[in-house]
Amino acid sequence: MKPILDVETLTRIHGPGCPACLDVTGPEHDTNICRHCGSVVAVAGASLRLHKGEVLGIMGESGSGKSSLVKMLYFDDKPTSGRAIFHDEGQAHDLFALNEAQQLRLRDMRMGMVYQNPSLGLNFDISAGGNIAERLLMSDELSYRAIREKATALLARTEVPPARMDELPRNFSGGMQQRVQIARALSTGAPLLFLDEVTTGLDLSVQARILDLIMELQEVTGVSMLVVTHDLGVVRHLTTRTIVMKHGRIIEAGLTDQILEDPQAAYTQQLVSSAL
Amino acid sequence: MHPVDTMGQNRDGAEYGFAFLDEDAKRELRRSIFKAVCIPGHQVAYASREMPIARGFGTGGMQLTLALLGPDDTCKVIDQGADDSVNAANIRNFFALTCPGVTGTLRTEGASVIQTRHRIPELKLRADQILVFQVPYPDPLVVVEPNAAKRRRMHGRADYARLWVKLYEDMVAFDEITISHRYPTRINGHYIIDPSPIPRFDVPKLHQADCLYLFGAGREKRIYAVPPHTDAVPITFNDVAFAVESFRDKTTGKRHVCRRCGADDSFLDEFLDNDGARVFQCSDAAYCDMRLERLEAAK
Ligand SMILES: Nc1ncnc2c1ncn2[C@@H]1O[C@H](COP(=O)(O)OP(=O)(O)OP(=O)(O)O)[C@@H](O)[C@H]1O
Ligand SMILES: [Mg+2]
Ligand SMILES: [Zn+2]
Repeated sequence: MKPILDVETLTRIHGPGCPACLDVTGPEHDTNICRHCGSVVAVAGASLRLHKGEVLGIMGESGSGKSSLVKMLYFDDKPTSGRAIFHDEGQAHDLFALNEAQQLRLRDMRMGMVYQNPSLGLNFDISAGGNIAERLLMSDELSYRAIREKATALLARTEVPPARMDELPRNFSGGMQQRVQIARALSTGAPLLFLDEVTTGLDLSVQARILDLIMELQEVTGVSMLVVTHDLGVVRHLTTRTIVMKHGRIIEAGLTDQILEDPQAAYTQQLVSSAL
Repeated sequence: MHPVDTMGQNRDGAEYGFAFLDEDAKRELRRSIFKAVCIPGHQVAYASREMPIARGFGTGGMQLTLALLGPDDTCKVIDQGADDSVNAANIRNFFALTCPGVTGTLRTEGASVIQTRHRIPELKLRADQILVFQVPYPDPLVVVEPNAAKRRRMHGRADYARLWVKLYEDMVAFDEITISHRYPTRINGHYIIDPSPIPRFDVPKLHQADCLYLFGAGREKRIYAVPPHTDAVPITFNDVAFAVESFRDKTTGKRHVCRRCGADDSFLDEFLDNDGARVFQCSDAAYCDMRLERLEAAK
């Protein structure tokens, strides 16, 4: 199996930071706040490898650093320290060593993100089709007909009725907004997708259909995904491997089935049993 | 165009520099102009000075013109094609008052510096002429990105996808691109400019011209340029042609002509005559007059 993403000791500290930050935070101290300087250690020393075509879960309680981790990889936020290597088209991109233009180029064309809050991933002032068109235009597709056809096909694939393509996503249901976000994320054929709590807050039946849809799309496209969730159902449904985070640290990693059946860390045991 | 630092006197006898602005201000403006010419289409920030007319009435264009004029220049001021609007007349009077030696003209071919609002003259401008635009909104990205710092970075990266999304939305809604004025235009393959509220008809005149085009936005404190022999391409899709106003009659398909001079190649203003009939007339008054004179002479 070939890696697509190698994350090495990624750290994000909000606040001034001090030499003690990493030593006085973490699961053993039961906090992510440094008592000396008040900084929030959102992610500390996180390392992981994502393989090509793999779906990796990131679980953990609220505030454990799941979103922070993914945001850095998608260039929504900058790390305090650490590295990430994105293996793409025969090249190894040292993500945080690239300049801003190179980063945005990768983000626009070779990565996709689906946020829990659709207003972060979509422009509510332009139509659903326009949201897809924007990404296609970023990747230098300049034929109106080609853009129109591709957007229609992408929305059809994520089960957005063609009749709604020219409407503003502002007026869509939550589930429909997520479908548009997924279509947008897939639009450039990016090999790497980040999904952050994409079904949280949706009706159960809608959740189930969207999870199925993500699975189907993953099987067809072979896209690699990092799936953030605190929902064990999502982890079980989508992922083969999972990491568990607490207070910014990765405390457990392994096959999803094993983690769910035989959690090693006491914290993971709690997470699993509380969900049953 | 041959700046000479002659000193003049105002009505109270106090001294002021030639062309109203002090020499430092003119030097800064000229530096900004050079920079704008060196980076075609790039919006150069400058310290916009207070002018004795309200911002929004062409103060950006005036400052450029004042920095360019020398005592042997001939200056023309147009407002929507006409030289006789109150605004154009005020600006022309101001130049006459503050720039001793500078002659005013109504003729396009006789002017060395032309300040304009919302039109490019019909007569092809020469290498020894400069057209100065009054610009209300210099940044074409302002409609898609409210944050100025982000807009600057987008310009730097030539990140203009969101402008094309606007065109996409237009195509979806109307089956054509409906932008009539301020058509986003890509300069020298990189920066996209707001060419000021000129009609589409004038946009092709920016491309590979012999003259220098300078744009001044007083309120927004920006100067930009389309230098001579520079590409200026209105943005569109590969499969959607950019089209200018055709002035064709919807029923007959024939192009309307100017009722005064008969021109069939000019930008036409449409209005109702005393009998309530629709009539068309050159928007560029100097062009219309020139054609009339020639017709008279030929008689
Ligand atoms: N901009 C910020 N400034 C200060 N602290 C922040 C900032 N962003 C995140 N944090 C803190 O970092 C920690 C990790 O937050 P993060 O959003 O990554 O958690 P999460 O695991 O995604 O939680 P949730 O399940 O609630 O989405 C939290 O304590 C959060 O308050
Ligand atoms: Mg989160
Ligand atoms: Zn600290």
